[in-house]
Amino acid sequence: MLDLFLFVGLPYIALVLMVVLSVYRYRTQRFTYSALGSQFLESNQLRWGSLSWHYGILILLVGHLIPVLLPGVWQALTSIPAFLIGVEVIGIVAAFLALTGLLVLVYRRSTSARVSAVTTTADYLLLILLIAQVLVGVSVATGARWGAIWSTSTTTPYLWSLATFQPQPEYITGLPPTVKLHLVLAWCIFMVVPFTRLVHIFSVPIAYLWRAPQKVVWTTPAPRPSAACAPQFQGRDSRRYFIRGALGTAGALFLLSIGVLEKLGRFFRGPSLNAQQQAELLQKKLERLELAAAERALEIERIEKDYIFVAQLAELSDTDGKYFTDYHMRPALAFKDERGLPLLISAKCTHLGCTVASTIANGRILCPCHVSWFDVKTGMPTPGAPAKAPLPHIGWVLMDPAGNLVASQGAGAAPSGEIDIAQAGSYGVYIAKQFEEIA
Amino acid sequence: MSTHDRLQQASDWLHERFPLEKLSFESLFQKKEVPVHHMSWGYYFGGLALFCFSIQLVTGLLLLFYYQPTVADAHASVELITFHVGGGALIRNLHTWSSSAMIFCVLTHLITAFAMKAFERPREITWVSGVLLLLITFGFGFTGYLLPWHQIAVNATKVGLQSVEEAGAYLPGALADIPRQLKELIQGEAAVGQATLSRFYALHVVLLPLAIFAVLGQHLFMVQVHGMSQGVDKPTGKMEKFFPIFALKDFSIWGLVFFVLFVVALCLPFEAFFSYPLFEPFDPQGSTPDGIKPEWYFFFVYYPLELLPFWLIMILSGVVVAVLLGTPWIFKGTSRKTLRNIAIAVTVYLVAMTVFGQQIYEFFKGGSQ
Repeated sequence: MLDLFLFVGLPYIALVLMVVLSVYRYRTQRFTYSALGSQFLESNQLRWGSLSWHYGILILLVGHLIPVLLPGVWQALTSIPAFLIGVEVIGIVAAFLALTGLLVLVYRRSTSARVSAVTTTADYLLLILLIAQVLVGVSVATGARWGAIWSTSTTTPYLWSLATFQPQPEYITGLPPTVKLHLVLAWCIFMVVPFTRLVHIFSVPIAYLWRAPQKVVWTTPAPRPSAACAPQFQGRDSRRYFIRGALGTAGALFLLSIGVLEKLGRFFRGPSLNAQQQAELLQKKLERLELAAAERALEIERIEKDYIFVAQLAELSDTDGKYFTDYHMRPALAFKDERGLPLLISAKCTHLGCTVASTIANGRILCPCHVSWFDVKTGMPTPGAPAKAPLPHIGWVLMDPAGNLVASQGAGAAPSGEIDIAQAGSYGVYIAKQFEEIA
Repeated sequence: MSTHDRLQQASDWLHERFPLEKLSFESLFQKKEVPVHHMSWGYYFGGLALFCFSIQLVTGLLLLFYYQPTVADAHASVELITFHVGGGALIRNLHTWSSSAMIFCVLTHLITAFAMKAFERPREITWVSGVLLLLITFGFGFTGYLLPWHQIAVNATKVGLQSVEEAGAYLPGALADIPRQLKELIQGEAAVGQATLSRFYALHVVLLPLAIFAVLGQHLFMVQVHGMSQGVDKPTGKMEKFFPIFALKDFSIWGLVFFVLFVVALCLPFEAFFSYPLFEPFDPQGSTPDGIKPEWYFFFVYYPLELLPFWLIMILSGVVVAVLLGTPWIFKGTSRKTLRNIAIAVTVYLVAMTVFGQQIYEFFKGGSQ
């Protein structure tokens, strides 16, 4: 029942109040439609407070709006881990920016006598509401992580159900209490819009983004030196500026060097591994060394031997190729053709040299780099593929277990020799140096 | 014209380009000024590129302490740096992020210098050395990409080198084999392997740095002697002293960029934008995984390479390099307005290919299938 009130009744009440009363206020008290800027009362703290608050909250509002307006696009984007992390990081940074700004603004309102004189209860209420909302937002972001993802299947459909007048609070009633509080506070903020200076969001000062900066100043003679001549380098002030600048730079450099030196120190000290990590690392290195050694062995074999074993004929399949390395240390694939004879084909794509995948689909194998399909029988790429030249076939030799040559086929030649079908399973498939030298 | 006149002419030409009398404390430090106008922001990118290069130098030297350039150990040593050495992940990330930042700054520097007609007499040689620096920087990018020896590194290098060999198909007779031989000369053996890794390592760590020091020294020297170019057709007349005002601004921007790079390197591994299988150690026996691509700064030539016939790309890149090297003479009489429009067009092309390359590729390829 309470849920029904908070997530169906309250939003509609808040939105109706906001729209009706804002219009009413505009029609009756038009000149109160303003952010009631107090820059001419105090501008130093305002700069820090107002700027960080507005930049922070605008980023946050955009981040809250996009998932609602473009849920499909957003879902696709957040499935990329880097994007998700990026968005969450930006959100947190913006939240802290907004929070800092709000705290500065509260401090300013309560310490500057001039500003506090024009501050109303509504202003304080609004500030408190906003601070609470940002705090709850941060706790949602940290407590119920990856809101950028889960919001697309919870709050987004909920908001759409409200917008289409078919409210379905079920989407959100199961969410953690912080999320619900965040929503309730949001509706409260909507509700107070017409009673506070928040109405300035309707005057949407977009033009501020590109108009020339305007500054409210006293018309009495300025207490500061004119901005036209850079004060840092003029007159008696210059020494003060110089000392301040030098101290600031020295301090910054000091902090920077502490940070950098700490990192460098740890870097030079090197890895600190426990026994298990060390063993794992060495094991990994050993495996890679063995791989490299196996490569070397293959190279030696290819230089020295006239025949190189590829596979047993019985092992070969007509759909799943077996990778092997040809005489030039290039990858190649071994299949069995429909006659039961070996079919050896280079696996180095003739386009840009990627290794072709080993599975046959519709009589063709695929190079995944730029999607070239090659006919296994002819080696030809399909028309329009990036690869233009065919994958060359490789000559083979069949030998019986005793090492006698049974049959052979040079690349592009007809097979020769007699095959005893009963014995075929025991034959070994070899590549031969003699075919390489002809090719 | 007599020989004496010719000699005089040559010496005048040299003197104008190398005004050594300006090598004084007075003109280098006390009187040096920077013009202030709406394109002034362009003056900062050369310095930024230099700053990124110095980050590369320092982090690169640090990485040398642990990196092992062998096929068996390269990947494991990179993993050791990333996961076990204190601050190692930061330094490695800084190296990768800052390499991208350096390429970005170098390209922006080139484009703004072009739009500001900074190559005008007497700065022709500065421009030409700048183009050489761009090519060296791309060389750094290409050779450095291979060193971690993971799937994407080795396969992208294979693809890149294979395109050298492709050129053979367009050459007649005995010449047709030369590109292949050239490719094998670069990679050191028939396939990308230990020899390639050793060569790229030597290039990346020793040869290219030596080359860049030489050209960069010359480039910076010329910049110091000639000062900043005027940059716009109608000078505003406003000038800023190089010391201390411009230098201070320069340093603050460097500080800001370092801060941003540091934070990004701390939070986001460069690899976060790719799927993991691409970062497994390279397996010479397996097939090539999906999604092999060069670094983003090669997209502007990679996607056209995918879409257009190879000979066209070959001719176009030849023309582009020739035009870049000949810019000071080709665009001698062109107005800054035209130059700026060309620069904008080039920027639009580069940004579109880099950001939307995949979509453009799919748009055209999708139609033909």
